[in-house]
Amino acid sequence: MLGLGGATALAGCSGSDGGDGSDGNDGNDTNETDGEDGSDGETDDDVYATAAAASFTTLNPIYNTENGAGNAIARALDQGYTFDENNEYVPLLYDLSTEDGEVWTFELREGLQFSDPYGEVTASDFVYLIQEIHQSSWANSAATTSWQGVTVEETGDYEFQATLEQPSLLWPESFDPLLYPIPRDLLEPYVEEEDTDGLRQDEELLELQFSGNLGPYVLDEWERDGGTRYSRNDDYYLRDADDMPDRFNDAPYFEESEIQVLGEQASRLGALETGEVDSAAIPPERVEEYREDDEIYVNRVPQPYNEKISVNMRDNGWTTGPGNMFRYTEFRQAMAAAIDKESLIQGVFRDFAETHFTWQPRFSEFYPPEDDIPQFGVGDSYGSEVARGLAEEAFEQSEYDYGFDGETMVDPDGNQVQLSIYHSAGQETEQLMGEFIAQELGNNLGIDVSVEAIDGTRFNNEYWTTTEFPTPERNEDGEVTNVPDELVDTVNGEEVEWTSPSATNPGPRNVTANEDWDMEIVFGLNTYPRNPLTNSAFFDGATAFYNPVGYYPGFDAQELFDNAQQATNEEELADALVELFRNLAEEQPYIMLAFPDSTVGYREGLEGPIENFSNGWDLPAWRYE
Amino acid sequence: MGFGKYVGARVLWAVVVSLIITTITFLLLAAAPNPAIREAATQAALQGGDPSAAVERERELRGLNQPLYVRYMDFIKSVYTLDWGWSESRSQPVTEAMLQALYYTAQYSIPWTVLTITLGPLVGVYSAANMYSWRDHVATGFAFFGYAIPNFFFGIILLLIFGVWFEVVPISYDTSAPVFSLQNVRQLILPVFVLVTGSIGATMRVSRNESAEFQNSEFMKTAKAKGVSPLRAYAYHVMRPTMVPLSTTLVGQLLALFIGSSLLVEVVFGIPGLGRLTFNALISQDTNLILGSTLVFTFIAVVGNLLEDLVFTVLDPRINYDDR
Repeated sequence: MLGLGGATALAGCSGSDGGDGSDGNDGNDTNETDGEDGSDGETDDDVYATAAAASFTTLNPIYNTENGAGNAIARALDQGYTFDENNEYVPLLYDLSTEDGEVWTFELREGLQFSDPYGEVTASDFVYLIQEIHQSSWANSAATTSWQGVTVEETGDYEFQATLEQPSLLWPESFDPLLYPIPRDLLEPYVEEEDTDGLRQDEELLELQFSGNLGPYVLDEWERDGGTRYSRNDDYYLRDADDMPDRFNDAPYFEESEIQVLGEQASRLGALETGEVDSAAIPPERVEEYREDDEIYVNRVPQPYNEKISVNMRDNGWTTGPGNMFRYTEFRQAMAAAIDKESLIQGVFRDFAETHFTWQPRFSEFYPPEDDIPQFGVGDSYGSEVARGLAEEAFEQSEYDYGFDGETMVDPDGNQVQLSIYHSAGQETEQLMGEFIAQELGNNLGIDVSVEAIDGTRFNNEYWTTTEFPTPERNEDGEVTNVPDELVDTVNGEEVEWTSPSATNPGPRNVTANEDWDMEIVFGLNTYPRNPLTNSAFFDGATAFYNPVGYYPGFDAQELFDNAQQATNEEELADALVELFRNLAEEQPYIMLAFPDSTVGYREGLEGPIENFSNGWDLPAWRYE
Repeated sequence: MGFGKYVGARVLWAVVVSLIITTITFLLLAAAPNPAIREAATQAALQGGDPSAAVERERELRGLNQPLYVRYMDFIKSVYTLDWGWSESRSQPVTEAMLQALYYTAQYSIPWTVLTITLGPLVGVYSAANMYSWRDHVATGFAFFGYAIPNFFFGIILLLIFGVWFEVVPISYDTSAPVFSLQNVRQLILPVFVLVTGSIGATMRVSRNESAEFQNSEFMKTAKAKGVSPLRAYAYHVMRPTMVPLSTTLVGQLLALFIGSSLLVEVVFGIPGLGRLTFNALISQDTNLILGSTLVFTFIAVVGNLLEDLVFTVLDPRINYDDR
């Protein structure tokens, strides 16, 4: 399931982050602005310095939901496991195994030590953390949703088992079983008192003072708004691990490590040029310039956050007139066919992006065969004629008399259809993209599109989500007893009830956020290539957890997700998912455009960075030649 | 009324003003929706619980179900006992956050303020003394340039020139540098320069025009006739009356600059100071921290005005305490 951080998510933007610790983590839903800005090593080879664009809210591992802070924690505290460049599971603190996808065994590495006085890391620390914190009703930890319905049992000093409600072959890939090691003795006083604030504010947790030999570095200082500073951990446990590549034997290779908060992109790039930090995300339009610099090399790292247009299918969308056309699949297809993906990639992303046809990037194992999916916006499926044809089909289904007057799309009163598209203020790439979209929709569909800038947080709070929505009545046991009429709608001929409305799906299309909007490109969404089942949050029906746009699938998405969930072998799983992605390509719930790559600059000589989604998985072993 | 009494009355008035501002802040806060409560409702909804029950629990937990006057008394008590709560966006107590940010802000704002209030009038008087000469034009041009060019842009350009090209100053700010060290001077010289050029313009222009008035005044003629050196004549007879009107606007002006320019400069130079703290508090809706910075700025404004009033009477002995 999604982390809460994703659920209450923030301003997002196009793929401007990159760099070291991104680790291919499937983390959050929306692509948040900034986060880690890449960068490692220093010309002075003893310090390993990186720059972050935003400061950290908390370094408390139990409560952190931010990527940037996650990278800061990762320097001093490993999590359970990771995935390497071949997408193979790499056990760090523990190995995970299963027979059937239902019962999973966690096998701890021996020799893991907390700092004094907490002693050795054992299964009981993890079991306690899961049962008393993540599964408690009071703690509200970041991993709460990951552990709902999971039964955990200690089966030995270094072994415990988790039994899932529903089997899942991709459980590790979902990152749900990913845990930080936290000493049981540290947690106990808070658990006894059910003291949420105390747990949040605990200094040992905030300063990672218990980290022992569990991370490559030891956190020396966290200067709020300034960054973090670390020194080498000589006892790092992976140095002695037999199952890790040899380069871990002497890891880490730097005496000190730093993450500096540099809010301004020009400052981050300047620091990269002078060697004060050794890597920084480079905006696509400046990649060529840095490629010519002898002291810097630029990597192109594929990532799973997409660029897409969200079209508002709720009642506060399609502000141009009656009858929201976005609700018709053919209309969305028409929009996809009207936008030239290759020109977009060339013009806006300077070729550092991939075309996006369905809800997976191409490097995903579950990407359907190319011939199986419609490819709107390229080749024969691009252009005015195709787009208009599809739009006409949509008009025929509408009770309102939309049509074309010459080149212009007109509403029932004969006026040109006028829509607006929002992008994040200050995001140049996004603004360019908005203008390109406006131009294409104007040329090929005769729609008058105005491009508007907005602050990401404001868009999120006033347009994208709402906190005021009707709620079903519940009895004392929390069971739903009555669902109000506003929460019922007919979807594909069946009556559907929204029994757990949320800020990101407050109900049927008649329940809306405060402000009206037509289209947005403020948020890039995660497509979860490692564990595509997580996408059920977006698409498992009209009542999906994350559905601000009010999309009602025209196919039985729920069933396909169920099939995938219940698959007992890889083949069944792949079949169900491929079928799902074929349908999504057809329906275009969001108008899919491109997957921009992260372009990250590193100081020449730094060994370790790879042009792969898993870039950064072996960060402790990075070094200078 | 004697000077002592006057100071006492002003201090008392300052306390009353700060109380009024804190009260208004409290009322605004009480009227605004609390993000923690909204979050509780969302949490409950996510976990399949009852949002309205969660809201009730949260209100109780935060004491929001108590009558307004009880909450008000609690609030005032915490404000004056420095119990300002926990900053959610920085994970530290608000007072600690303010102190930490103030520590970094002070390192560049003290030199900045000192340079502005000494250099500004000096250059202004110098300009006036050499009015319409090339020196005056250079000084005026410099003042207008500094005033006109946006601080953050100027900062980036200077960083590019001195940091990236010549590599004489570091690009990133090192918080571990000792306050009185060459390293700290190197990393703060650009921000201070940018801020001084930005704020000196107005002060300089006002003092130039003010002092122009006094240059040909009777008392200057007398002083000159008595053989007073030009330096002494300008320092004592022109500078002093010039400073009177100037000092009334200085605090307000510097405060506005503190909040506005220091944010942009802190972002560009990566200094973890008050400007960024306030800005981040606002965008992350960290109520306690916003309140904390409001209080700090209120305090600075009140104390600043107090000082201004006192300086006023010292600079111009003709002003007597009885009238005010």
